[in-house]
Formats: sequence, C-alpha cells, structure tokens
Amino acid sequence: MFDPALVALQALLEPARLAALIAGMLAGMVFGMLPGLGGVAAVSILLPFIYLADDYAGLALLLGAISVVYTSDTITSVLLGAPGSPASAPTAIEGHALAKQGKAASALGVGFLASMVGGLVGALVLLVAIPVAGPIVLALGTPELFMFALVGLYFASSMVGPNLAKGLAAACFGVLLGVVGPAPAAADFRFTFGQAYLLDGFTLTIVALGLFGVAEVVAMLAAGGGIAQERSEIQRWGDGFRAFWQRKWLVLRASVIGVFGGFVPAVGASASTWVAYADAMRSAKDKSRFGRGEIRGIAASEGANNATIIADLVPTLLFSVPGGPAAAIFLGALFSFGYYPGPRMVSENPDLMYLIVWSVALASVLGAAVCFAATPVIARLTRIPFAIVAAPLLLVMVLGAYQATRDVGDIFLLFAIGAIGWLMKHAGWPRAPALVGFVLAQPMEQYFWLTWQIHGWGFLARPGVLVIAALILVPLLVGLVRRSLRVETSVGPVKPADIQVEKPLAGLILASLMTLAFAYAAWEMIGFNTDSRLLPALAVVPGLVFSVAVLAGRLRSGIDGFDPGFREPAYLGAIILYAVGVWAVGFNLATVGLLAWMLFGCAGMRPIGGTIYGAAVFGGIHGLFHLMQYAPPAGALIDLI
Amino acid sequence: MKLLTVGIAAAVFGTAALPAQAQDAALSGGTIEVVVPFSRGGATFVSAKFLEPFFEKHLPGNPDVRVVDRPGGGSILGANWFAQNAEPDGRTLLFTTSSTANPYVLEKPEVEYDLAGFRVAYSHPFSAVAYVAPSTGVTSAADIKDASGLIYGGIAAAASDLPGLLSFEVLGLDIRSVLGFPGRGPVRLAFERGETTLDYQFTPVYLTQVRQLVEAGKAVPLWTGGAVAEDGSLTARDPIAPDLPSVAEVHETLYGTAPSGIAWDAFETIASVTYAFGLTGYLHADTPQAILDVYSDAARAINADPEFQTASEDVTGGARLVPGSEAEPAIRAALQPSAEVKTYLRDLLSTKYNVRF
Repeated sequence: MFDPALVALQALLEPARLAALIAGMLAGMVFGMLPGLGGVAAVSILLPFIYLADDYAGLALLLGAISVVYTSDTITSVLLGAPGSPASAPTAIEGHALAKQGKAASALGVGFLASMVGGLVGALVLLVAIPVAGPIVLALGTPELFMFALVGLYFASSMVGPNLAKGLAAACFGVLLGVVGPAPAAADFRFTFGQAYLLDGFTLTIVALGLFGVAEVVAMLAAGGGIAQERSEIQRWGDGFRAFWQRKWLVLRASVIGVFGGFVPAVGASASTWVAYADAMRSAKDKSRFGRGEIRGIAASEGANNATIIADLVPTLLFSVPGGPAAAIFLGALFSFGYYPGPRMVSENPDLMYLIVWSVALASVLGAAVCFAATPVIARLTRIPFAIVAAPLLLVMVLGAYQATRDVGDIFLLFAIGAIGWLMKHAGWPRAPALVGFVLAQPMEQYFWLTWQIHGWGFLARPGVLVIAALILVPLLVGLVRRSLRVETSVGPVKPADIQVEKPLAGLILASLMTLAFAYAAWEMIGFNTDSRLLPALAVVPGLVFSVAVLAGRLRSGIDGFDPGFREPAYLGAIILYAVGVWAVGFNLATVGLLAWMLFGCAGMRPIGGTIYGAAVFGGIHGLFHLMQYAPPAGALIDLI
Repeated sequence: MKLLTVGIAAAVFGTAALPAQAQDAALSGGTIEVVVPFSRGGATFVSAKFLEPFFEKHLPGNPDVRVVDRPGGGSILGANWFAQNAEPDGRTLLFTTSSTANPYVLEKPEVEYDLAGFRVAYSHPFSAVAYVAPSTGVTSAADIKDASGLIYGGIAAAASDLPGLLSFEVLGLDIRSVLGFPGRGPVRLAFERGETTLDYQFTPVYLTQVRQLVEAGKAVPLWTGGAVAEDGSLTARDPIAPDLPSVAEVHETLYGTAPSGIAWDAFETIASVTYAFGLTGYLHADTPQAILDVYSDAARAINADPEFQTASEDVTGGARLVPGSEAEPAIRAALQPSAEVKTYLRDLLSTKYNVRF
C-alpha cells in the first residue's frame, strides 16, 4: 500500500511539479484573500495553464489552489470583516469582532492552523477513505441528503440573535432569495419577472458579497481619510498557537463535519461550515461571546470549510460526480488529461490518487506557513486610510460578482442585495440567517421532493434518517430536560456583532421593504403548482407575519433620533449610481469616475499620488479581467472604450 | 498548449507560404471565440476544450481558438448574448446543446435568438444509452414491457430529459418519473443506490462509468437514442455503441412495426437535436458561404487526423464531427417542427408534467 505512496511523493517532488504546486498555491492564496473570489475563480483562472507541463504538474497546480483558498480567506475575513469566500461568513463575524478588540493575531493564528488541520484531515480521508468511501456515499440517499440540509438549517437557528422576529424574518428572506428560479418539484419558474437573467436563480457569491461585503465598503468610504481606530498588532503568534491547542478537539470535530459535507454533493462548504459553527456554539459552556468575537467559532468554521473542499474530491474521484463547483472544474481537467474517475481509477491509477493526497497535504501545510509569514505585511494595509483600500476592494467584488453570468445584471444584483445588507446592518437585522436560509433553501427543497416522490413517508424509517434526526432531537431533548430541572445554562442571549445599534429610519425602510417583498411573493405564489408552493409558503407566510410585526414595532416607537451626521446613505447611493453608470456607459468610463470620486473625494489623496494609485488600481483590475479572459461590461447607451 | 500552438502558428505563417485558396482569405489566423453557454467544467465546456486544439490545427492560418463560458438561464443567457453580439465574420461561434434548442422549439418567452436562422459550422453527435436495474426483472430491451417498478430519474421535463421521456411515449411504457435532480451525475448515483431503476446517460459517460456496472451485473443496457440514417430518419444505431438497438428498432421488436405517428415525430425532432447533433457550433445568420466552407473543410480534416481519432477513441468512444454542410438541413428541420408536433409537445408537457407555457 505504501509503495505507490512513496513513488507518488517522489513524482510530486520533481522540480516542475513542485513549482506548479507552489504556483497554484500562491494563486489560490491571492484569490482566497480577494473578497468574493474563491476556489472556483482560482481554478478557472489556472485552467489554461495546466497544459504547460505534464499532467501531474497540471493537476498539482489546481490542487495547490484548491487546498489553500479557505486558509488565506481568513485574512480578509478577520481584518476587513468581509468574507474572503462565501463559506467563511462565520469567520468574518467572529474574527472581525476579535480584530476590533485587538486580538487579530489570535484569530488569524487559530484560523490558519484550523484550516491546515482541516486540509490534512481532508487529505487523510482521501487516503484511507477512498477504498471504503464508496458505500458511505451510496448509503447517503436522497432522504439522508434532505436531513443533512435540515440539520444545517436547525443549527443555523442559533444565529438568529436576540430579536426573534427580526432573526426569523431574515432567515425567511434568505429562503425567499433561494427559491428564485426553477422549482425542483414542478416545472415552475418562480419570481423571475420574465427575466432570462433570473431563470437560474441567484448566485451564492453575489448574495454573500452583497449581504456582507458592500456594507463594509460603504462604512470604509464613509470613514474617509481616517486611520483605523485600533491598530491590529500581529506580532504575538504564541497566543494563536495556544488558543488553537486548547481547541484542538473542536477543530478535529469540525473537520469531520466538513468531511461529511464534502461527501454530500450540493450541500457543500457553506452548509457544513454553519453546522460546525453551531456545533461549536452548542458545545460551549459560555455562549455569551458568540457573535461578539468567539475564537471557537473561527476554529470550527475554518476547520470545516477546508475539510469540505478537499472531501469534495471524494465523490469526484469515486463517481465522477463533483462535490462542489471547484471540484467540477478539477474533474474537467482530469477528463482533459484522459483520466476517467470512477471506482476503477483507485486501483488502476494508484500513483495519481497518492499524488492528489500528497499535493493536498503539502499545500495545506505550506499554505498555512505562508499565511503566517505574509500576514504582518498585509496587516499594514489596515493602517492606511480605509477609503484607499475600499477602491480596489469594491472593484474586485464587482469582478467576483461579474464572473457569475457575465451579465450586467450581476452588478446590479450585487448592489441591490448590498443595499439590503446595508439596511439590515443598520436596522439591527442579523445577516447570517439570511445567508444560511439562502444556501440551504435549494438542496432542502430539491431533496425533500425527490425523497417524497421516491420514498413517501417511508423515508422516516430509514436508519440513516434516524441517525441524522438524532443530531437535532438529542440536543433539543437534553435542553428541555435541563430546563425542566431548572439548571441554569445560558448566560444571557446571544448578540451577534454584525448587528449595529438600530438606525430608526433604516429600520422603517427595511421593515417596509420586507413587508412589501413578502406580500408580493405571497400574491405571486398563488399561481404556482402546489408542489412548487410548499417551500416558498413556509418562508413567505411567517416572513410576512414577522416583518409586519417588526414594522408595527418600529412605527409604535417612532422614527425619532434621526442622525444628520450619519453620511453612509450618500455613499451607498454613489456606488449604486456606479452600477447604473456601468450599465449606461460601460465599465471603463464608470470606473474612472468611481476611482476619481473615491480617491480624491473620499480619501482626499493628492492629485499626483491619487492619479498614479488610481491608474495602478485600474490597470490591476483590467489585468484580472484579462487573466480570467473576460471582457469588461460594455455600455448599453454609449460605449466609448 | 495555447502558447505552443500560437508559436507553431507563427512559425507556419512565417516559413511555409500558404497555398492561398480563395476561401482561406475568408477566415485566416487571428482569434476565434467559442461561446459555451454553460459553466466551466461542465460537459459542454470540456467538449469545447477537447476540440479547441484540433480547430487551431486545421483551420486556415492556425487561429487562436478561445473557449469562453457565458452561463446562466439554462443556456438562454449565453445564446441571447450571441444573437445580439456575434458578427457574420465567422469569428464567434455558439457551441451548445439541446438545452438551447428545446426552449426555442417550445417558444419560451425568454428566448431572444432565432436558432434555426443561425448557420451550422459543425456538429458533434452525443447519443445516450438507456439502462435498467436487474431488480426490475428486465434482461434485454425485448422484455421491457413486462418490467415492474420502473422509476426514471431526471432533471426537468422541458429540458434535457425531454427526448428520454418522449422515447417512453414512443415505446408505450408505463414509467414513474422522478424529476428535480440537480444533474445527470446525481441521477446516476441515485440509480446505483437503487432509488431509481431506469436511466439515460450520454454515451461517453455510459462507456466510462456505466459499463462497469453492466460488467458487475448491476445494470442492463437497453437501447440508444439512435443516429441519423441515410434517409434522414433517426433509425440507425449509435456508431459509438453499435451493439445496442435504437429506439426505432426496439419499437419494431415490441410491436412488429416501424414507429410512426405524432409521438414518433416529436421524438425524432427532439432526439435529433439532442443526440444526433448533440453539440453544435452555430454561426451568425449572415455568415458568408466561403466561411461556412472553411469550417466544413476543417471538420473533415479533423476527422481524418489520426491524432484526433486516437483522442476521440479515449474520450467519446470514437465519435466524429459532422461538417456543417451535412448537418445543417437536418438541424434546421428539427428546430422547426410542424404545428402538430409543437401542440403535441405542449400538451404532453402541460398535462403530464405540469409545465406552464
């Protein structure tokens, strides 16, 4: 068994292949750090380059990138509060709160190490589980996949926060976003307004970036030329190592959860990250710090998301069914080299299998090391005026959104959801339940109807279903018993830090908007087939009730306390104007205008320095467009350049 | 690979004086964009990448062929984009499947492209194999009518599952269809788990993934979607899986007559676009004949290239390209079925599968 393993290691250590692995790793790290551009973007960009050397080098290039995307995204999540990739939203919530308390080093250290462990566990699973994983993947039928999504949703309910009505309305809104597009059970297209753009529904990247990223950029711009309130000191890594070591078992458990997430096609990294996060919360004695900077939350979510993206390769290699979008591109690459994954590949190409395992393991360790080395340099970025950082950040987010369908609708949608995310932030609505609702709506509905059509009620008696149901029921029952015995367990309600002090006007606008959206959805829903109506109804009816309740509460307490010094709405308006500009006059002209406004207007840069920096940013974003072989959007009214 | 090809192109261009045929001037060198309206890593994208180096080699002047993905709207977004942006210069192709053709035939309101008006550059057949679980008691296509518990897993009735569902209508089979799977791969897994018992997979997937199940006694192959015969009907056997009968042959076995009637007409229409011309490269409607000839010649040259023959043996079981000049009349006819066929399709989809128009 170990002979081919050593042969494969030797093969990987050949200079060209090692160079490819490291090149892929560095590219993966950069794309992990750029908000919204995760593993899919990294492997898409690397795809043309895999043919430069031999097949092993080409695959090592891709694996290097896949293995570290969820390691380096910790940096963005912690330092900026915008998730580096969609599946690291919990890290952004907890890590950024810690960074604000001056504990960025601990947060990052734990994040990197947990990511590394997640990657290594993933590699180990590939190594030992491939021969035995077949039956596991086949044992997970549609009922089990449905239950897995349900568990994710249940655990995510712990993110709801102190205001039950707002939290549940936010979750319902997420599900509503998730059901846009084709219904799985019957041939209905829901809430598409006759737009071809909406026929496939919304993209995760756009929803995650919109909910979390845009609001952060607006806050940065409004902060203007000021310096970050607290400098992030990234010198004492010792704290990070100690904090990690105390939570090693939690990280391992999270990695195992992540591995199972990888076995399940379509549920994926976002779902297993939230499940692991909720597991960390459930098993914590003191729950009060969750949402306000709890290191356990980072340890769990980073361990899980990295394990998932690696374990995604298990169904990919065993059945040619990719576990996630990045794995799908990897599968395409395998095809193009003439490898046809399947049960036979394990026995026919043991070298290749071990090469994959070694690549993942090596890249995970190296990636964490490089992250440790690079962070002090990157942390200096937090000392320069926020408005200067915001300019390239916003453009990268636009590019990240634009890769979804290459339609200007991507950019509009980014800022439309961004405006909602911004309103939610200032109206005191938690955004995490909305994201989780969005992520899980589709697999939940899809697998529920498949289960229903194939098994009927009989699915409830399946052993797998019972085991997974126990994951929900046991903690629930234990909680009830404890409560009936009057054991004091909780220490006050959880108050996520992504909730700001409520701005009355934002609260009023958002509650009205949500009420309107749910009311409209309820009206359109009447025309659907019964089967297509079930899940939307489960979200729309309570969503409408909760948002009306929030609206009524808002109206009762009045909208006094308007803060004239609060300038963020103007900045939000300006970047929405930018989206309209992109549509009307094309990307180039609109971006020049945006950069001029951001650098001279917001950041107050001097003419020469600002021009040079602006040109560099403009050139850089064009370089990225070119690298991804995309043409920037052209204007609909006039197209000058 | 691209850099290499560009290098070769430069070398060829510099040294060997090109025999300047009149049509070569119509399209020579430069860049050619192949628009795939699905995401990267998908089957269509992979196929386009597979063909890319061969077109770079055999098109005049060795152009730089770029495969560009424009996913969204179940391929409608990319096709709409092509209709609005392509020029009649032969430098932008739309490379797509029946996912683009079916909404066009069914006249979905989101469709803004006139697919039958486009010119066909080349086509790549992509037939499919039906197979069944041994638990149904079926041992060959002949006893399919006696089977019990036939459950077919699919994605959506009005999209890629349409030809499969129509084949069941042609053969008069009573099948429970479970639609709503996220893709054909997950359907195959559900078959392996025993949740579904009847499945269709595209022939290349069948050859690389399902044949192992057949060898292990876990699946029984039944028939293929068929291929276009000399007379233009969809009655020939799939050249990649010549051991298996076509749907038309199975009908003869079961009922003693060749299939006919509205169900067969509908199947032939939809299945031609799906299988016989599974992957088709379209060009702008006003593309000059000289450029169309260039593509047809390139397709023939690729078919004759031993390197392509070896590669296609590995990847698609040896499928060949169909030059546009040969494929176009059949594709155009299939994309414009009679009013009766359209009515039949709409009725079937709306009554049996709750599709709304």
